[in-house]
Parts: sequence; structure tokens; C-alpha cells
Amino acid sequence: MPTSVTTPREKRGLKNWQFILLFVAAIAVILVAFHLLSGGLFLQWSNVTGILARTAYPSFIAWGFCFLFACGYTDMSIGGVVVLGSFASCILGNWFGLPGVILGGLAVGMLLIFINFLIFTYSGIPSWIAGISLAMIYEAIAFLLKISNGTKALVSTSLAMEYRLLGQLPWCLLLLLVGLVVVFFLYNRTTVGLNIRALGGNKDVAEKLGINVKKTLLYVGLISGVLIGFACFLQQSYAGQTTVKTGLTSINIIFQPLAIYLLAQIIQKRINIVICVPICAFILYSIFNFLTMVGVPSGTLQEFFLGAFIIAFGIIGSRRVKGVVK
Amino acid sequence: MSGEVILEIKGLNKHFGPTYANKNVDLKLRRGEVRGLIGENGSGKSTLLSQIAGLYRPDSGEMLVKGEPYAPHSPIDANRHGISMVMQELGVVGNLPAGVNVFLGRTGQFAKGGVVDLNALNKAAAAQFAKWDLPMPPLNQLTDGMMIETRKMIELARALSIDPDILLLDEVTQSLSLNNRDKLYALIRRFKEMDRAVVVITHDIEEMIRITDTITVLRDGEVVGEVRSAETTLDEIRMMMVGRQVSGEYYRADMTPTYSDEVVLRVKDLSVPHELEDISFEVHAGEILGFCGLSDAGIHSIGKAVYGLSKPSKGTVHMVPTDTDIHSAPQALANFMGYVPKDRDNEALMIHANIRDNSVLPSVEELKGKAGLLAPRKLSRMAEGIRERFSVKTTGVGQTMNALSGGNKQKVNLGRWLAKDLKLLILDCPTRGVDVGVKANIYALMKEAKKDNIATILISDELTEVLGMADRLLVMKDGRITKEIRRDEDFTEQSVIGEMI
Repeated sequence: MPTSVTTPREKRGLKNWQFILLFVAAIAVILVAFHLLSGGLFLQWSNVTGILARTAYPSFIAWGFCFLFACGYTDMSIGGVVVLGSFASCILGNWFGLPGVILGGLAVGMLLIFINFLIFTYSGIPSWIAGISLAMIYEAIAFLLKISNGTKALVSTSLAMEYRLLGQLPWCLLLLLVGLVVVFFLYNRTTVGLNIRALGGNKDVAEKLGINVKKTLLYVGLISGVLIGFACFLQQSYAGQTTVKTGLTSINIIFQPLAIYLLAQIIQKRINIVICVPICAFILYSIFNFLTMVGVPSGTLQEFFLGAFIIAFGIIGSRRVKGVVK
Repeated sequence: MSGEVILEIKGLNKHFGPTYANKNVDLKLRRGEVRGLIGENGSGKSTLLSQIAGLYRPDSGEMLVKGEPYAPHSPIDANRHGISMVMQELGVVGNLPAGVNVFLGRTGQFAKGGVVDLNALNKAAAAQFAKWDLPMPPLNQLTDGMMIETRKMIELARALSIDPDILLLDEVTQSLSLNNRDKLYALIRRFKEMDRAVVVITHDIEEMIRITDTITVLRDGEVVGEVRSAETTLDEIRMMMVGRQVSGEYYRADMTPTYSDEVVLRVKDLSVPHELEDISFEVHAGEILGFCGLSDAGIHSIGKAVYGLSKPSKGTVHMVPTDTDIHSAPQALANFMGYVPKDRDNEALMIHANIRDNSVLPSVEELKGKAGLLAPRKLSRMAEGIRERFSVKTTGVGQTMNALSGGNKQKVNLGRWLAKDLKLLILDCPTRGVDVGVKANIYALMKEAKKDNIATILISDELTEVLGMADRLLVMKDGRITKEIRRDEDFTEQSVIGEMI
């Protein structure tokens, strides 16, 4: 029988199931604390469902980031893609009803992210530079397509109320659950998922082991495209309209999903990152919701709390997990 | 050997820009043969193996496998022809589990309806470790953070998982500790018994003579000789490698510990959770203190802990000349310590930066001007000095580190510390992956440092190296020091191995 090799990481103090238990308990305590501090408002059913409905579309964007970052690329144009995809979802939705809502968002999201990856793969330009350039292009296109001239801001016309079904409960939650299962298997249990992660882990090794780098990158474009496409129509269905200005302001759209991804990344050593994403989205929007309830002004002060929370979360999540290379 | 030629290479040529890496190489490998490839760093050994393994395509020449023309366009193609390779620097993908790494690039064989059955994959990976009697890592755990040795075992299992007829091993043994080397030797013998073939690259000439049937010597990309291992000598191989008689001793000739009474470093009751337990020792000025042990004995944790890179649960690391307890790496650096880690590419060098930046990195504080700024001319001068003093073969200090051979990388790695005013130098496997010439160079530098009254901690998986160089030797087992042997005592391999086991 072969002897086994142990590493220091194996011997870490807290077992995963203990961490999960503690994690769930900590969330429960925080939610109860929010409830008490908000005068019994926070855990009211209508409030909780509101938070749940809000987690859907940022979760899809954060899952898109999982694939993007796993292969070692960054795409700063995703905000611009979401704006254009949401426009398409809105326009086609108002023309063709629910199928138009879905098709509009999916088609534009998929197409643009796939185009992005074609550019990243074949141009050789660093993806973050190409991404910023593409974000400017997409914002400019959105500006040209603007429907309302009421303000300097670009405000699209609203999606008709009867077609906003997918942004509401239980449908958005159902889509989130289906997305969770599909993305979990795609990321963790498919050859393409493993190849994508191999590419980000060590491109040279991946290439030498016969992984087709260009093909894998295009798969990333396709998968992320579908996920961003879902985010587009879910966003439009949830909010009913999309607002953006030029000057790279579309990047604002990706900040919250990015925060979700970062939170998920912190605890991925304990819980699979795909599962972490909706959990972290719920935590994040619970915090925003609570801060709003207790009268903390949105914008600067809320962002201060968000930043502080991510740092605190990172410190706690990284404790006792150590990668030792000997 | 059955005699049947399994691989034949005729007139193989390979250029990398102006570098002629392989010149008209001819080679015949027979079934049941263990062939050694030896040569100085940059002699074209790895390039030759890489062409056989489908990593590079030859510029000209011909290869035949089992009599059929063979021109692999990728490592996967080579695998299909029954050839696999464990590469010197390849490594594993850190963000994937060990089991997945064994079948990376071939995970599709475990997919049902598009979903990879990870249980089946891990079962198959475990079967490979069991089949070849290799120590099994935790298969579900990410390889990021695993020891070099464990990662090498995963690579080995990966190469073996295709059930190859020809196994190519590029500098594998030097990543392994003694017990796992024995496992590798047993594996090589088993391959031979199965009438398959193995090609081994190692810089340890004694080891090569011991484990191979025939040895091909390469110099400047050309085959300069082929000898039967049983009929050759260490000196003959050395001479063929460098093209002249290699004179002088590698190791120290004396058998007396010679160092001053002045204590430079005092380590007391040092414990690092799961790595080290109650470690106490002193190192004196001009002393070379050796550490040896089997895998997981904790020897490599010593260097990290002393240099302030680990978080001890108790104990102290005290730098006596400055009367300072060391708690962090910057503090160690400021207190005249230097550290050359085992994992050169990942822990020591900025592999994509140039030689100049790598050379000056530990000395930036000393190089700063009055306004706190660094003058490029000063940095270049220092880097040039290191390049000349340590004979680094390079086109200039602007060349990136990843363009250098292993030996030349190590010269920069070591040279940048020796260019400083040091009191203590920690060397963890300093001769890993370097040729006989560079090894001799490194030993000479260690002797020079000893003469300059620098205290040295030498951690090594090469028992002959610590026996050859150390004044005192501390044997470790399970994170503890189990024995101290002085150079004038029972300083033999047998006595040390007895303690290690």
C-alpha cells in the first residue's frame, strides 16, 4: 500500500463542516441583530423577499466573474454589456412580450461577451485594457441608442409592468436556483470548467497537457456571455429600466457583483465559490437594506460600511487557512 | 534489455534563435534499458527530452518509435505513442485538486453526459498511486500549498497514468527526499523488468551511474559520448561533460569541525504548529550547520522559521551579534541574514523580472541614495558585479530570469546574498537542479563564506552534500531534532540514515 503524503494545510484547526456551521450561525445572529436594531422591521417577510429578489441578477454577474477570473482574465466592459443587454431586453420585451425580454438580454449579453473574448484571445492586448476600451465603445453605443432626452443621463424607456415577471419572486429565485445548479456543475464537474480553472492556475502547464487555450478562452466568453445575458434580462425585469452615463460610469454596475465575488472568493477555501456567490449576495444586500432602514445615507457612508465589512470578512475568512510551499 | 530498439533518433537538430540547442543528435533506446542523459546546464538535455515528449518540434532529423516514424505535435500525441515525461519545471495547477491534476487534459474520459465524475476520477488517480507504489497525496485537496515533493509525485502519477512504454524523467530525483527517491528507483527497476524504457536526467553523477544501464553525455547540444554505466567512472563522466579534466575536490577534504566560539544564531524551543517541535540549536561564526531528514521531517521548515517566514507557537530565534529576536523576514534581512529557499522559481526569484532587479532586491536599502532614491546606474553596477563574480551566463543584466538555465538562476539567487554583508546564510537545497560545474562553484562559495566567518545553515535532501560540507549535522524526524553529529564523530551515511529512519 502506498503511504500517504500529508501537508500542513490538511492539519488546519477548523474542519470545513465546523466552519459552515459557524458561518450559518454567524449569519443568523447578524440577521437577528439587524432585526432587533431596526425595530423589528428587518425580518418581516416583505423585506426578506425584497432582498432575495434583489440578489438574483448580481449573482449571475458574479458567477460570470467566477469564470472570467478563473481563467486569469478581467473584463471591465461588463457594465456596458449589461446596459446594452438590458436595453435590448426592454425594447424586445415591449415588442414581443416575455420571450422578447429573455431573448433580448441573452442575445446581446452572449454576443458582446463572446466578441470581447474573441478580442482578448486573438489581439494579445491585456484584457483589462481592452475591456476599458470596449466599455467606452458600449457606453457610446448606448448613448446613441438613448430613448429619452429628458436629462443628460441616458434613461431608457421602462419595460412594461406585465413583462417584469422574471424580476419578481418566486421566478427570479427559481432562476437563481436553476442557475446555481447549472453553474455549480459547469464550474466544478465538467471538463471545460476544469480546463478554464487550469488556464488561470498555470497556463503553461495547461497548454503542455494538451488543453486548447484559445478554444477554452472562447468557452469562457460563451459561458460568461450566457450568465451576463441572464443578468441583463433579470436586471431589466427587476428594475424596469437602466440608467447610465458615459465616461466609464457603466463600470459602477459591476462594483456590487465584484464585491460579491470578492466575498465569495474569501470563503471559497471552505465553501465552493459557486455556492458562496448567492449567499454573499444575500449578505451584501441585507447589509445595504439594514443600513437604509436605520437611516444611513446611501452612497458614500453605505460604501464605507461595505468596504469595512469586506475587510473584516476577509480577515475572519482567511484565518487558519495557510498555503505552505516547501 | 531485450535488445529491441524502441526509440531511435537520427540527426536531430533544434535551434532557439541563435542558440543551437541540439546538434545532429543520434540515440538508440532499447526495451528494458535505463538511459541516463547528462551534461552541463544548457547542454541541451531537456531540449532533447522535450522533443521526444512532443513539447518542441525538431528543426530537422527523424525519430522512430517501434520502427515507425514518430513526429509528435503535442505531449498528448506523444502519450498516444506511449511516451510520457515528468518535466523539470512544469509543476501542477495549484487551483485544482491533486486528483484532477493527475488526469488534467484528459478529464473527458470520466465525463458522463458532460459531467465529470470526480469520484471515479479520484478512484482512478488513487489506483495509479497504488499501482506504482507512490505516496498518495490527499486527492481532493488543492495542490496549491503542497510540498514540491508531493507535487512531483502528482506529476509522476500523471506521467504513469498513460501506462507509458517510455518514461522520461527530467531532474525528478533532486526534488525528492531519500525515502521517496528509493521509491522512484524501485519504479525505474520495475519499468526495466517490464521490458519498458526510461530516460533519466540528473545532475547527480553517482546516482546516474547507479541507476542507469547506459549514459549519453551531451555538451553544447551535441552527443559527445555514450558509455555503459557499469564500466564508467565519475571522473570520466565529468571530463566528458566539461571537455577537460575536472580537478579539485567538490566537498571539504578535512574531517574536523572548524568554526569560532562566537554564537551567531541561537534558536530556543522553537515550535511551528504541525511543522516543528521544540527545536533548539546554535550556529557559530564560520560554521556550516547541516540539517537532514526524510520527507516531512521538517528540515525545510527550519529555514522558513529562522528567517521569520513562519508563525511559531513558541520559542525564539535570536540573532546574537545584534541582540535581536527575529519575528519577520524584513527583520531577518535587517539583521544580516540571507535565505536561499528550495523552491527557486516560486519563492526566491521574480521569474519574469530581469537579472538586475533580481540581483539588487535584497540590497535596495543599502543602495538607496540620500534622498531615498535608487540610482539605475548603481543598481546596474551591482548587478553587473554579481554577474561577473559568479560567472552568470547571460546576454546581459537586462535579460529576464526565465530565460536562464537552472544553474545560472541559482548563481543569481545565491550571488545576490553573498554580495551583501551577512552574518548568517540559510541555504535550502542550494544545488537542486544545477550541474556539476555550478555545484562545485556553489561549494567553493560556501567554503569562501566559511572563511569569511559567515555562519551557514545548510538544509539538504542530498545526504552526501551535508556530509561533505557541514561541521555539524542535525538529523530531524517528525519535526524534531533527533541527533547531532559532529564532523569528527561517526559522520557517515550509514549512521545518519539509521537516525533518519
